[in-house]
Amino acid sequence: MSSQAECSTPSYNLNCRMHMEAAALERLCQVVRVRGFRISEMSMSSGSEHLDIALRLEGSRPIAMLQAQLEKLHTVAEVVVQSPSSVRSALG
Amino acid sequence: MNGAQHILDAFHRHNINTVFGYPGGCIMPLYDALVDDVGVEHVLCRHEQACALAADGFARASGEIGVCIATSGPGATNLITGVANAYMDSIPMLVISGQVPSPLIGTDAFQETDILGMTLGIVKHSYLVDDAEALPAIMEEAITLAQSGRPGPVWIDIPKNILLADVATPVATKTNAPKSHCPDVAEALAMLRSAKRPLLYSGGGVSLAQAEDSFRQFAQASGMPSVVTLKGIGNPGKGNPHNLGMLGMHGSRAANKAVDECDLLFVIGARLDDRATGKLDGFAPNARMIHIDADAAEINKLRPADLALRGDLNQILEACTKELNSEPLSISDWQKQCKTWHTTGGFQAADNEESLAPISGPAFVRQLSKIAPDNAVIACDVGQHQMWVAQHYEFDHPRHHLTSGGLGTMGFGLPAAIGAQFADRNSTVINVTGDGSFMMNAQELATIRRYNLPLKLIIMDNQCLGMVRQQQELFYNNRESHINLDDNPDFVAMARAFDIPALHIERTDQIRRGIEAILAYDGPMLLHVAISREENVWPMVKPGGSNKEMIDETRRTSASTKEQVA
Repeated sequence: MSSQAECSTPSYNLNCRMHMEAAALERLCQVVRVRGFRISEMSMSSGSEHLDIALRLEGSRPIAMLQAQLEKLHTVAEVVVQSPSSVRSALG
Repeated sequence: MNGAQHILDAFHRHNINTVFGYPGGCIMPLYDALVDDVGVEHVLCRHEQACALAADGFARASGEIGVCIATSGPGATNLITGVANAYMDSIPMLVISGQVPSPLIGTDAFQETDILGMTLGIVKHSYLVDDAEALPAIMEEAITLAQSGRPGPVWIDIPKNILLADVATPVATKTNAPKSHCPDVAEALAMLRSAKRPLLYSGGGVSLAQAEDSFRQFAQASGMPSVVTLKGIGNPGKGNPHNLGMLGMHGSRAANKAVDECDLLFVIGARLDDRATGKLDGFAPNARMIHIDADAAEINKLRPADLALRGDLNQILEACTKELNSEPLSISDWQKQCKTWHTTGGFQAADNEESLAPISGPAFVRQLSKIAPDNAVIACDVGQHQMWVAQHYEFDHPRHHLTSGGLGTMGFGLPAAIGAQFADRNSTVINVTGDGSFMMNAQELATIRRYNLPLKLIIMDNQCLGMVRQQQELFYNNRESHINLDDNPDFVAMARAFDIPALHIERTDQIRRGIEAILAYDGPMLLHVAISREENVWPMVKPGGSNKEMIDETRRTSASTKEQVA
């Protein structure tokens, strides 16, 4: 049952650039969880003033809704929902 | 200047002259700075939750930012409910908490909690200050952020050593929120003109945007029948002939009927909350929707909009009004239809004329509405009395109605009323509460006494948690569970113990004299109103049900035996 459910749950790839701040990752993950998505894969790189985070997400709600909620965060500079193939390579 | 003094400096720069707080270990440097600062009035509440809720009430009543302060650990955790309340209702608030000194963070030090982590989901933004030199800029950014766009609470957690540190950074210059643009309204107007049955649906976003005047001009120019959410009550004003009142779970039949029948829903500053829409599948089934909001994340969140306009509500409404003034809508048949529905399906309460009859909640509220001054601020708590106020009190302005809409926080009313009274010392502020809610922040009677606030407190006492009892009666086969409060204290004696005079009434013929007595008294006064335990809020939509399926007293028996909560 669980594998069927997993197969039927849409998955998305999302890249997010955030300003460096305390709890940046927690803030991002909290919004993802509470808005109904599960992180199945995650990678992060940091520059001097920002973080680049790549997420593979699963969830049945519209991804645009999550994108809008993430873009609202004060320290989020950019959110891009990528096609599965392009993010597969970004996640390695 | 140390960190604490920089905080006060920011208050001065932004004309913040009233703050609500409670001192303690790690916030003591700020309290030490307050000793020398005569430009900021610090209001000592008796519980940190009340500090946050009072700051919330101050902001709602004044339209300015509310500020609350607490120490680390329990002081900060006690703020949480009040901050969540502000977050859910988009109230501009600055929260300042002390934190253990930076080197002790993460060591389970005395009164250490990870308040930043705990509160991520209930703030617009938050900071843990790790560099004293950054504090002036953080203060500046936080105050601006809390009030810009869609407002909300911003929390700054400040370690004690940062408050004490000398800060060399020059005082930050005041920044202004970026100006928003006005989207093109031509398509919205075209949709409006092609609609036969357009309906105006407004919420709390109107007053948050300080767009009350623009809204009324637009409502008048369009002539659209109008419904409001709980937080939108007062938007149309008393004089709007097309106002059908509140929609939703305890909305009027007329409002819900109009939503069901309309062919265009013109939504302004509302987020289509489930208490307003009921089951979404059945909500406004025949309507296209124009959604106007300051927050892009609200667009298409719950129901796709046929047209979305994001931006400053004032600019959008003014642009629409200008066009409508030159070419009004032709919707007279629809206006007449809605007026008929309002006549037969508006909020009605039979005012019992029998002098010895027990007091009915709706009848009491209707009397209060008639007797209280037009500009009185009513701060409600949560429960049946809250809905009776929403249904039966006629508000002329949304800032006169303080209610915990999103979070539904019992205990909100009394501290919110305190905040509202500090926002305007000369206004009439009335806390209408229930016996359950009152006991959740009853310690604030001491705050009222300390500052001699002329607040009026009205406890509608049915000796139970009435709204829970109502739902247990209707949807849980009348199986009452832990709602009984018949061992309440003597509220009159309790008020007097705080040196606040109080009256008790229980009969219909005592209503007017009771209300007039507390309003005439020069100082704080409490009116204890005994009401029936069995009285329900009607009409009602079953939780999770469609707004089309309202139940009322005539279906009370069948509902209680057959219906279960979905």
